[in-house]
Amino acid sequence: MPDNWGFVAAAYGLTAAVLLIYWRRLAKKERELDALKRPSP
Amino acid sequence: MVRALGWLAAASLAAGLVMAFGVAPREVTQGNVQRIMYVHVPLILASYLAFVVLAVASLVYLVRRDEGADRVAHASGEVGVMFVGLGIATGSIWGKPTWGTWWTWDARLTSVAILFVMYLGYLLLRGTIEDRERAARYCAVVGIVAALDIPLVHFSVYWWRTLHQPPSLMKPGGFTGSTSILWPLLINLLAFVLLYAYFVARRVSLLRAEAEAAA
Repeated sequence: MPDNWGFVAAAYGLTAAVLLIYWRRLAKKERELDALKRPSP
Repeated sequence: MVRALGWLAAASLAAGLVMAFGVAPREVTQGNVQRIMYVHVPLILASYLAFVVLAVASLVYLVRRDEGADRVAHASGEVGVMFVGLGIATGSIWGKPTWGTWWTWDARLTSVAILFVMYLGYLLLRGTIEDRERAARYCAVVGIVAALDIPLVHFSVYWWRTLHQPPSLMKPGGFTGSTSILWPLLINLLAFVLLYAYFVARRVSLLRAEAEAAA
């Protein structure tokens, strides 16, 4: 059976991309909440 | 603590990648495409864990009206939906070269698609009810009922004739394959469980901070 490395790359790439997007979304929300908590000058 | 969990998850994921591509052998019949299993299987098993935690936290919420339990259920549902969605997608990518199709309506694939849709509905329900207490109560009931699909997904390969193969890890008699395949699977499972715990911990603290900011 051929190795189909393209399919392997797609599966791992998609997983890495989605996990990274979720991680960045959490970090963005945390920054927004921190900015809200900080008293305005 | 959460930061340390994050680093531990990252290190385990790196170790999992090394195991999947450096240690695990090329599978005899499927070739290298079988390496997708080192991400697909852990994703699905970690999503089972997420939905069991969601159901237990929902039960705790219904009994004690503990907002912390509701936040754990919410966070666990979010991460579980992401994991099961990725599990379906990676399974589909593996299915095309192996089965010759991206998707087929067999019992395992259909039951896991229902699982995904139910928990997506759970998250949508949270977003549509404005009253926080009412949303928590309704979602707790949905979370407990939806968990009944988990054994259906897992045992579907035994109860019906399916194209999907029986479980690799969680089966009677344990894993029967080579240890060179078992260890990469276990390391990746540990990595995704740690990643799940890290995401849930961060999401729970965010939900708490959001609630405090709204109060």
